[in-house]
Amino acid sequence: MLKRIFVTVVLTMGALAAAHAAGPDCSRPYTLALHDHGLLYSAETGTGIDKDVSDELIRRSGCKVSVNLMARSRIWQLIESGALDFSLSGITNADRDKFAGFAWYFSNKYYLLVRRDSGVRTLADFENNTKLQMGVIRSFRYSESANKLVDKMQADNRLSQAGGLAPLYQTLMLGRIQAMIIEPFDYPTLEDAKIREATSIIEFNDPPVPHGLIMSKKALPETEQAKWRALITAMRSDGTLRRIFEKYFTPGMAASLVDF
Amino acid sequence: MTAPRLIFLPWLILISGLGLTWLVWDHERQTTTKELHSQFDFALRDTVSRIEQRVSNYEQLLRGVQGLLATTALTDRKAVHDYVETIQQDANFSGVEVIGVVELVSAARKQTHIAGMRQLGFPDYDVFPMGEREVYAPIVQREPNVGNIRKVPFGFDAWADPVRRTAMERARDSGMPAISGKVQLRIDATESPRPGFVMYLPVFAHGLPHDTKEQRRANLVGWVYAAFRVRDFMASMYGSPVPGLSLAIYDGVTFSDTTLMYAWPEETKTVARNGSDGPAADEYMVLAGRTWTVALRGEPEFESRFRRGVASGIAAAGAALSISLAVLVWLMVTARARALRYAALMTEELRLMAQQDPLTSLPNRALFGDRLKNQLAWARRHDGRFALIFLDLDNFKIINDTHGHGVGDVILIEVAQRLKAAVRTSDTVGRLGGDEFVVLMPELTAPADAMGLAEKIRIALREPILFEGREMCISCSLGIAVYPDDGTDETTLVRNADHAMYRAKERGRDAAVLASQS
Repeated sequence: MLKRIFVTVVLTMGALAAAHAAGPDCSRPYTLALHDHGLLYSAETGTGIDKDVSDELIRRSGCKVSVNLMARSRIWQLIESGALDFSLSGITNADRDKFAGFAWYFSNKYYLLVRRDSGVRTLADFENNTKLQMGVIRSFRYSESANKLVDKMQADNRLSQAGGLAPLYQTLMLGRIQAMIIEPFDYPTLEDAKIREATSIIEFNDPPVPHGLIMSKKALPETEQAKWRALITAMRSDGTLRRIFEKYFTPGMAASLVDF
Repeated sequence: MTAPRLIFLPWLILISGLGLTWLVWDHERQTTTKELHSQFDFALRDTVSRIEQRVSNYEQLLRGVQGLLATTALTDRKAVHDYVETIQQDANFSGVEVIGVVELVSAARKQTHIAGMRQLGFPDYDVFPMGEREVYAPIVQREPNVGNIRKVPFGFDAWADPVRRTAMERARDSGMPAISGKVQLRIDATESPRPGFVMYLPVFAHGLPHDTKEQRRANLVGWVYAAFRVRDFMASMYGSPVPGLSLAIYDGVTFSDTTLMYAWPEETKTVARNGSDGPAADEYMVLAGRTWTVALRGEPEFESRFRRGVASGIAAAGAALSISLAVLVWLMVTARARALRYAALMTEELRLMAQQDPLTSLPNRALFGDRLKNQLAWARRHDGRFALIFLDLDNFKIINDTHGHGVGDVILIEVAQRLKAAVRTSDTVGRLGGDEFVVLMPELTAPADAMGLAEKIRIALREPILFEGREMCISCSLGIAVYPDDGTDETTLVRNADHAMYRAKERGRDAAVLASQS
């Protein structure tokens, strides 16, 4: 009997120690940056999916994390240099893999939003008409064929860069650019009747691209990254993430984004 | 003989050489264009990044003031004054004109607020523009409050200006820094318009939450702001713009004089991106919630820094080398053929030299002998008749001795010309040597015809010859032998013609004599 109690106590203490070890190291304050992008985060209202995800992540970690708003290009620069610890909704590529770790929590497809009056029906139509200009957010990367299109536009001097979505919509409506790449978070803007009437959507024929928590490799050792990744995994498996997405999307759409 | 396929070799080399030149030239051109684009992209990225970092610095500066007011009252003028005085020493913040405090004043509290400010030592303080509004946001403090700034009164209701108000609302609702559209700063109100903008950060009541938009709206007490003149703001950035590039910054996304915030060089007029000759890009920056369009254009000077004529040098040198190589190969390939052709030409020349009198180009004795032999053979076969006329110039030796050989040669050439003009095309005129000429006249019907030709020649030669302004007169003696009447072989005919000719000389020269009559 005593032996059983002893074993139970030892096991419980071991589990407690393991649980403590599993949590991130909170011995220093962390920094996390959000970027203003449709439903992910709106600086105007201070709300969005990424805000909810970061609130929950910070709560679960128990760490002190200061949250800032920054241009996406600056976020990537700071993640690379190690001056920033975290950001959200990042996608990877070979370059980013060198300086950032990721914890995936949703995936989505990309679409080309084109002006109807440009006469574009397919992606090739757009690519081949050298008069048409495209707008993108600086430092944004997309799915494989979308990236190819953007790189070609850049090489052909047909690309305009922007620090956010709003000016892209404005220049699209002014006719200075004829196309831009959008994601499901950008749908609310499309509810604007003027934009919806003037544009149509072409889907990139690529599989959905996973998005996740971005962790600076310079700022966080591999073991710490694994602990933060575990927090995200827990948020996925206990349905927290799905509930966050359901605040912004229909249940079906939310499921298609978080179940991948 | 050159092998036919070798004939194409120089052409093949020329085409390959020019093709290769084109490839290298095109590669160089593309490399230069790529370099130009990448330098231009870098300049754009660098400009955008500098502006972003600068704005970010000023956000931090303003957050400092906001942080200060989280620990002390909005009306703690001394704290704000001391704080700004400390940071003003830092040249990093030289782009900011003034840092200030705006107090949120409800309509109900307006009079109390004015009275309070007057008590603080501003007896003329009032909220302006005048008029009753639901809420006021007057400027209550500016730091540093020195020099000309000191003369600008407090009390300007920023909330009454729609451009400032939009930014103040955005700052209040988000809790984040917000910058206004293009404005003229209050401290510049009496001066010529200078584009400026204002950055706002909200200040909330102590101890009350401001986590949601509703809480922020309910607990707002005012704003801290930083005011900028765009030109000073841009000047505060390190480094100078890249030479050959023009830069314009617009508030929002439209290009117009009213939205233009900054232009460098100053007289720059932005042309549409697709109307620009050189590299051109528009970047839409989002700065503290406000869009600025950065229009960067490459002037010819920028392009010329990269296009240093390397491509055209390659084209010229490549084309010259290709052509030289092709010519060299052509010379090598055709050397044998040209040598053979040259040898043939020389042979022909030698043959002519052997048969022709070099002075008059008339057949010489050897060729004439051949012709005579042929004529004899022909006449024997066909029972034909022909005449042989010997001609000797009279007193030619005297002309030669008096006037020299040069004149003699001229006379001989002229005689040859006149002889050729006088005879029929079927007749042959030859020069036997010295002043002796001979005419072979085939197909003769009667000896009188030969006499007729001899007379014609004699008269033709009597015509004076014009030489260097002098008229020279010459005559000739002719002897005619007719086949078969005066001989049936070469030797007899020649001898008889020669005799007849001497007969003519004996008769006093300038005469023609038939051998049969001599």
